[in-house]
Amino acid sequence: MPSRPTDNDPARPWTEKVLPTQLEAIRDAEGDVMARLEEFAYNEDHQFAIRLAFEEALVNAMKHGNHMDPARKVRLAYRVSPQCIEIRIRDEGEGFDPGVVPDPTVDENLHRPCGRGIMLMRSYMDTVEYACCGKEVQMTKYRRPSQGGAKP
Amino acid sequence: MPEEPEVVQVTDRNGVKLVRILTSAILREGEVEALGQGLLSLAEVPGQRVVLSFLGVQHLTSLVLGKLIHVHKRLAESGGELRLADIDPHIFEVFAITHLDRLFRIFEREDEAIASFAAKPEA
Repeated sequence: MPSRPTDNDPARPWTEKVLPTQLEAIRDAEGDVMARLEEFAYNEDHQFAIRLAFEEALVNAMKHGNHMDPARKVRLAYRVSPQCIEIRIRDEGEGFDPGVVPDPTVDENLHRPCGRGIMLMRSYMDTVEYACCGKEVQMTKYRRPSQGGAKP
Repeated sequence: MPEEPEVVQVTDRNGVKLVRILTSAILREGEVEALGQGLLSLAEVPGQRVVLSFLGVQHLTSLVLGKLIHVHKRLAESGGELRLADIDPHIFEVFAITHLDRLFRIFEREDEAIASFAAKPEA
């Protein structure tokens, strides 16, 4: 796994997986994540938010990063605690600058069929950061008992 | 490749095509494509009015949003329209965040959406 987590606390191990570039693989991968969230009693709003951001990030990695090339892989790492979930996703693409993705909510972009994934990730996760020239996304969602879904 | 199970069910309600989604989460590429194709086939009839019901759908991604936008445009080009109904609050929030609630007319229930096509346009 080329991407290094921010820390390697043995009490909070990372789960690491290598996924094929197939959208079908996303559902399998998220099964374990969702089970962990249930285990720590993340509420329904949290679960929806995390699942959405997780899927959007993986779709982006596969479609835009790896161009759906079956020869390329997506590296996934995550760890779940009662306090938060941290997710790292890295593709094998050329990288990109997330800063140049147009705002999908302005009128002239509303009819565009794509370009909403990052915006949804930022809306539903507490932190979304890109590393390795855009090939890796790092997301965190904190579990606050009174909140869950999209940020206000 | 295994055949994708049916993703949509289409019925006719007083000249309006009611499309119901048969899966609770639309993610697999085959499912997204099946949804898109099911809706696009309706656009072949000029002036087709379509209500897409999200009853039972608990999850989707922006791939589906993109497909709906494409269908919306194709229907409009042929004089028809796509309206949405029965959207779960979580999913409605996705439409609101992306401002797609400005692009689509969204109704609480499918019968309201169907009836809206019969209503006279506002002056």
